[in-house]
Amino acid sequence: MKALMLFKQFCWLMLASLSLLLSYTSTVYADGVVVDKVYHPYVLPNEREVEWRLLSHKESENNNLAQRFAYGQSLTDTIMLELYLVGERDINDDFSLSSYELEARWMLTEQGEYWADWGLLFEIEKVQRQKNWEVTSGVLVEKEFGRASLTFNAFIIYEWGKTIVSEFETEFRLQYRYRYLEQLQPAIELYSGQNYLGIGPAFMGIQRFDGQKQLKWDVGFITGLDRRSKGHVLRVAIEYEF
Amino acid sequence: MIKDVPKYCNLFLLMSLFFLCSPTVEAKRPEYHLALKKHLFYPAQIIIPANKKVKLVILNYDNSVEEFDSFDLNREKVIFPKQKSIIFIGPLPVGEYHFFGEYHPNSARGKVIVVEINNTQAVSHDALSSKQGGLDVN
Repeated sequence: MKALMLFKQFCWLMLASLSLLLSYTSTVYADGVVVDKVYHPYVLPNEREVEWRLLSHKESENNNLAQRFAYGQSLTDTIMLELYLVGERDINDDFSLSSYELEARWMLTEQGEYWADWGLLFEIEKVQRQKNWEVTSGVLVEKEFGRASLTFNAFIIYEWGKTIVSEFETEFRLQYRYRYLEQLQPAIELYSGQNYLGIGPAFMGIQRFDGQKQLKWDVGFITGLDRRSKGHVLRVAIEYEF
Repeated sequence: MIKDVPKYCNLFLLMSLFFLCSPTVEAKRPEYHLALKKHLFYPAQIIIPANKKVKLVILNYDNSVEEFDSFDLNREKVIFPKQKSIIFIGPLPVGEYHFFGEYHPNSARGKVIVVEINNTQAVSHDALSSKQGGLDVN
């Protein structure tokens, strides 16, 4: 039984890795940062949250810095809507609002009902100054193996605007998480897309308070695997649900 | 100018379709019932077979909302007043898995006990049922 489970886990990892590799070897060129957050396909009714995310990409001496502030609320038992304000630090070290986005997550299947849990993600983003747009739709899949969970995100992105070439892109994200303790869950994450392939450790956890109130934290350190994906990305996310 | 969708997108879509179709429809899942009354779970412990996916039906008799929560089971589910919720758990190895109500964590507590059922022994769901009550098999 355990051998079968391990075999299934292995097959799943292989398929997901194949997708990541295919995305990496594509000829679509990069316009943005691939490393972000691995989404889980779950939504809870009555859920409201505020979120802060930080992304620091260090290629040489300087680093690119982006921060996101978000408010999210579940609209129904299965749909959650989140509004983001994204701020970036420019080459003059000035930090300002760069874009805003609206994101919807849709839980398709009940957790644990089928072989894997499924969800969808839709997102629209407008870059403030350049008047560029980006529309994303993606599939979120999670498979549980005892105390471990494997989460796979696949996105198709279409972007257009004044300063970018209109094009389709794809991104893949993979996370293997071990639920060691509620407050400490180590993971390995893999990101691919836009000529980027990166891997690294991540740690996340939850601290519960009264009722639905809880604080989620999430830190990852992703390293590019070759010269096209050079540098390191530090990502931090803190989410307060109430 | 819009570029063509890359070829590997087709592969991705096919793969997604494969995964979407792959969930095995498990026709007969053992069904277990839990009731929430005055912020207490009845029964407070449920015995289920190891390595088998089961369906847990929770009926909230209270007038307030509750959230079933379990880190051990990796489940969170909101149960609205006077309504029932369904939670799928397992397949799980032998052990004890604790759960609680997020809004009343001191009173609304319980555990799922997973036991090995040897096929050669005459242990049936009825046998488990007599130990805990309220067990149905579809």
